[in-house]
Amino acid sequence: MNNRNKKNKVLTIAYLFPTALILLVFIIAPIIYTFYLSFFNWNLIAPTKDFVGLENYLSIFTDPVNRKIILNTVFYILLLLVLNFLVPYFISIIVKFFISKMQTAYKIIFFIPSLFSLVVGAMLFSWIMNPVSGPVAFFMRNLGLTLPNWTNSGAMAVVVICLITNWKVFGYNFVLLLTGLGSVPQNIIDATKMDSIPKWRMIWDIVFPLNKSIAFYVLILTIVQGLQYVFTPISVITQGGPYYGSSNALYHTYLNAFVLYKTGNASALAIVTFVIFLVLLYLEIKFVEGRTSRYE
Amino acid sequence: MQNLQSAQASGKVPDVVQVGWAYMNYFADNFKYLTPTDAQSKFDSSKTFISKNFTTRTLSFAKDSNGKLVGLPYSLSTPILYYNKTMLDKYGIKASSLSTWEGVSAAAKKIKEASGNYGLYIQEPADTWAQQALQLSNGAKIKKNGKAVFASAAGVKAYQFYQDMVVKDKTALHTPWAQGVDDFVNGKVAIAYTTVAQASHIKQSANFDVEAITSPHFKGHKATVPVGGSMLAITAQSTEKQKAAWTFEKYLYKNSSLVTWSKGTGYLPPTQSALSSKAFKSYLSENPMLKPAASQIKTAVSWTSFPKNGLQAEQAMIDARDKILSGSNVQETLKSTQEKINEQQK
Repeated sequence: MNNRNKKNKVLTIAYLFPTALILLVFIIAPIIYTFYLSFFNWNLIAPTKDFVGLENYLSIFTDPVNRKIILNTVFYILLLLVLNFLVPYFISIIVKFFISKMQTAYKIIFFIPSLFSLVVGAMLFSWIMNPVSGPVAFFMRNLGLTLPNWTNSGAMAVVVICLITNWKVFGYNFVLLLTGLGSVPQNIIDATKMDSIPKWRMIWDIVFPLNKSIAFYVLILTIVQGLQYVFTPISVITQGGPYYGSSNALYHTYLNAFVLYKTGNASALAIVTFVIFLVLLYLEIKFVEGRTSRYE
Repeated sequence: MQNLQSAQASGKVPDVVQVGWAYMNYFADNFKYLTPTDAQSKFDSSKTFISKNFTTRTLSFAKDSNGKLVGLPYSLSTPILYYNKTMLDKYGIKASSLSTWEGVSAAAKKIKEASGNYGLYIQEPADTWAQQALQLSNGAKIKKNGKAVFASAAGVKAYQFYQDMVVKDKTALHTPWAQGVDDFVNGKVAIAYTTVAQASHIKQSANFDVEAITSPHFKGHKATVPVGGSMLAITAQSTEKQKAAWTFEKYLYKNSSLVTWSKGTGYLPPTQSALSSKAFKSYLSENPMLKPAASQIKTAVSWTSFPKNGLQAEQAMIDARDKILSGSNVQETLKSTQEKINEQQK
């Protein structure tokens, strides 16, 4: 018995080893090194690193540009939660429970954009949405309207950039949520019909709780993507401008690290972002798991 | 430049690198390299390659703040004024009136009033090259004795003029570079001030008559443009590789190689013999928009490059442009930017 246990343990370690090694080399070690770098001023190539203590962290909270960027990041995430989570969820419910025809067609149509590269999408939209000479501006002018010069306003640039990511991500999230809704047992839904329970109550009290795990997955995905996916359109269209108005934490980290070579500031910002997300994910897991356990 | 920095950080440096002017001092301070002068004295028997091929002015573009030649100029560019001839003719504006910025502004006003289109777009990429040309052509200096001095009265006046056109009169367009050039070739902006490297793109995409003239100046001042483009520097470390790199450079500086490079990239060749070669002259006559750019090289000055924290200095100037074009006070913005850069030079 004891021998077998031992053997199991060895096997477990052996099986986990490759994954653990990859995680260690590509994820954990870089995070530790980033943490280390965040206490220094260094430009990646100078032979010496100047130890500056917590100065890089202080600058995140005192520098007005950094504050602006943190606010922008929050704005991005909120907007993307609506565009990439709430709206697809709403539409997938409509498609599942209120429309009986053409479900597959919707799936395919919504899914197509997610096959394109975001760089292509960003360039395409930068042309379509060009406020002076793009097609959208042209049609609006014919209707007597003007498209505002959105690249000159941080808030408007953020909205357009979110719409571009929405174009890319919407279909994927929609298909995920629709599949989740499809796995709600049909007999329960039929039973609510027999008892003539209104559809909205059936959705609210039965579908939502049963679909919670998929919805939760998409929610997390949206938050994490909220940081990552907007990077490409920012880099292609606005480069964070006007005056950092459309930059977010990730783009600013990139700018500091690989354009200005201020690795210390970049590392500090990366660590702060990392910690915020860790807390956010912990809260979400705790909150949602506490709720689901009631039904399972 | 950013690629080079990453390569250096990972321990793999190429043998010959192309470095943009704005990064020259940064390169000289942070990398190990072999100067062309040393390469020539080490590997050549005749020692006249550099002096025979490059003018003193062209070589001055590649000298760092201590006057040391860091690399050899490779591709050159200057900003030129492109205009939509069809549109200008329609509103009776003569191209000769565009030789001063005051004239450009008057033309832009006329076009805005008559057609609602924008009159002018000045390029806004991730550098302030064109804006520096604007300041220089009002008699301002960007850098003096290693310190930023662009917030002088003349420098402020030039930027104020630019801000007024964008913010107050709305006769000039403020938008990212790619969109601005699109707007010009789509006939929504009458005049575009951008690099000669855009000439072939503009020629191919515009469906109207487009022509180009040399950079305008402010009344009472001379037109002065900073040169754009890049130099070649040798970063090879072993003598053998350095020799190979030097031989390779000499091959690249043959007239035929330079003209091919120029046709492919839209930049102008750096050597006198290439500029006056038959192949390049026939290329010029096919592409007359390159002529004003080529003529400006004789009077161009080197692109301001700050020795310490050069990357941050460039970013600070970009930030200042962003702020000014969004309407913030020109004098205060330039002054605080200048102080910030000078603070970092210490």
